[in-house]
Amino acid sequence: MLYVALVPPLHRPGGNMIRSAAFALALLASATVPAAQAAEPPIRIGQVIPMTGEAAESGRYHKYGAELAAEQVNKAGGIRGRKVELVQEDDKTTNPGAVTALQRLLEDKEIPAIIGSIRSTQVQAMLPTVKEAGIPFMIGGTNYGLTHQGNPWVFRFRPHDGFSAKVIAKFAVEELKLKKLALVHSTDAFGNGGRDFVTKALGELKAEPALVQGYNNGEKDFTAILTSVRQSGAEGLLTYFTFSTDIGIFAKQVKQLGIKVGWIGSPSIVAVDGRKLAGEALYGTYGVSDFHVDGSAKSKEFTAAYRAKYNLEPDLYSAWCYDAVTVLAEAMRRAPDLKPESIRKAILGIKGFPGAEGEYNFDENGDGLDHYHIVRNENGVIKYFKTIRVPR
Amino acid sequence: MAIVGQLLFSGLAIGGVYALVALGIALIYRATNVVNFAQGEFCMLGAYALVFATQGLRLGYGAAFALALATMALLGLVFAVGIYYPLRNRTFLPVIIATIGASIMFQNGALAVFGPSPERLAPVIEGGTSGGITVGEIFFDYQYLVLLVVTVVLVALQYLFFEYTLLGKKMQATSQDKDMARLLGIPVTRMIALTFVYSTLLGGLAGMLVAPIFFVTHKMGAVLGFKAFAATIAGGFGDVRGAILGGLALGVVETFGAAYISVVYKDGFAFLLLILFLLLRPQGIFGEKVAEKA
Repeated sequence: MLYVALVPPLHRPGGNMIRSAAFALALLASATVPAAQAAEPPIRIGQVIPMTGEAAESGRYHKYGAELAAEQVNKAGGIRGRKVELVQEDDKTTNPGAVTALQRLLEDKEIPAIIGSIRSTQVQAMLPTVKEAGIPFMIGGTNYGLTHQGNPWVFRFRPHDGFSAKVIAKFAVEELKLKKLALVHSTDAFGNGGRDFVTKALGELKAEPALVQGYNNGEKDFTAILTSVRQSGAEGLLTYFTFSTDIGIFAKQVKQLGIKVGWIGSPSIVAVDGRKLAGEALYGTYGVSDFHVDGSAKSKEFTAAYRAKYNLEPDLYSAWCYDAVTVLAEAMRRAPDLKPESIRKAILGIKGFPGAEGEYNFDENGDGLDHYHIVRNENGVIKYFKTIRVPR
Repeated sequence: MAIVGQLLFSGLAIGGVYALVALGIALIYRATNVVNFAQGEFCMLGAYALVFATQGLRLGYGAAFALALATMALLGLVFAVGIYYPLRNRTFLPVIIATIGASIMFQNGALAVFGPSPERLAPVIEGGTSGGITVGEIFFDYQYLVLLVVTVVLVALQYLFFEYTLLGKKMQATSQDKDMARLLGIPVTRMIALTFVYSTLLGGLAGMLVAPIFFVTHKMGAVLGFKAFAATIAGGFGDVRGAILGGLALGVVETFGAAYISVVYKDGFAFLLLILFLLLRPQGIFGEKVAEKA
């Protein structure tokens, strides 16, 4: 870069010529291609996904889910004769990366809506830009506040944490009939939020917890916490862990210290990493999960199609992105035109719409779902138990 | 009483891990006057080497362990030649920065090669379903027992090696006074390379031994490295006995602090200990003077 700038223009006429030729060729190509297709250009939907960095693996599933939905939409005739095309940008699993990726998508004025991140912190970082741009933004982050800060462009395709906390409390008290409860939570935004929601829900059920204890992410030795759990005399354990690796280590130590309790946890308890480490220490535990392959008729249908296309088991990453594209396509069919405001209004009008995650009923905050599935770890297999919907 | 016993065992066990890593830091510091900030990453790489040998090459545990240790020894040599040797005549700062750079490179390299999902390693002793034994009301994890035994044996062997073998004495002489050692005909560069090899082995071994208790991830070395660093300070920099005692003490302080004061500030206790030592006893537990080395 520096080198080119330092060389006087006279010394590189060849470079200029090549560039002009390439430019002319590009012009020619762009002029001929649409003519050859003779159809309307596809509707481009933006998607911010992690292709590199820590969440790179989950990024693949985001992509698969969205692409399966786009394929189905196109097979069914597209949207008013136009096909759907996904434009993906890498968020590098970082907040600045996510904002940059979003800005790159916003530069393309043909894109009428964007699918954002499953990570609450990244969504939080992107929201101001979304509000400024005024474009429908689909998210998978479950932090309660994301849809409650007066940003009219946010639509959520997973149930928020307030619901999971209520379902955890309700199930422990009403179904498992556990009397004395201990709550162990991580001390990040997710865990502290969960703590507040769970204790509030328990208060409403007149079942004040006997112990509420936080831990820091990445903790390796839970002996101190587990001794206080034992001393509290709790017969039920509620966990609100952020990372499944932490819960894997925690579960092993619960078993080693011989603590026997009924146990229900936030979604990390059913994630595969923790189960791999904990093995039978997690058998018989319950967890909440927004997606399960047997969650509904539509979940089963999605699972079959996903397995057929990718020869893989679907997960919540692919499920919410599949729903985001499907719901968006439905909204664009219903909307009078593809202006952001029209699409926004059309999404708000979507009620009783079956998705892979569950039934979508968008409220004025942009929250589409209000259910959680209870699942049970049966000898290492996560079995569907029941679905609980929470009154909003 | 049972609770205190349980906490003491857990604290000593986790402290044993810190001690092994701290030992590597102390040895390299003695030999080169440089803090190796990549020591924690040696744990991570050792654990990954074992993962690769058991799951990738499907070797038996013994063969896999040997191969992983050999890999670590080779890495130690490469590290000494590639990171330390080119900068050996500079001040300590470029070398420290280079070790930090190496640490970042190792972390991201592991992320690129092995991916972000954590790997699991089988314990050395497959002991029933809980992987340990309950005596009285105290649970003893076999892997932690193995770890403590290995730490004790290694420390004993190391003592014998440094005090009673010629090679050990040459390495000691090198760490005490490089110029004098050189005058006496000791191949100083080779001794330093050997120290790196040994320290890498120690770090790798610590990683392989904790891997079945934790997960193997590209980030596992960072926390261990920092805790071990704190333990090295408490022990008095470059003091081998101090590093071991500092590691064990750190584990115990952390665990009891978490149990009786605050779980959330658990990591804080390690650094509080570090600050207290720097303020009140910068020469470390055994009080060896650090400044005397040229």
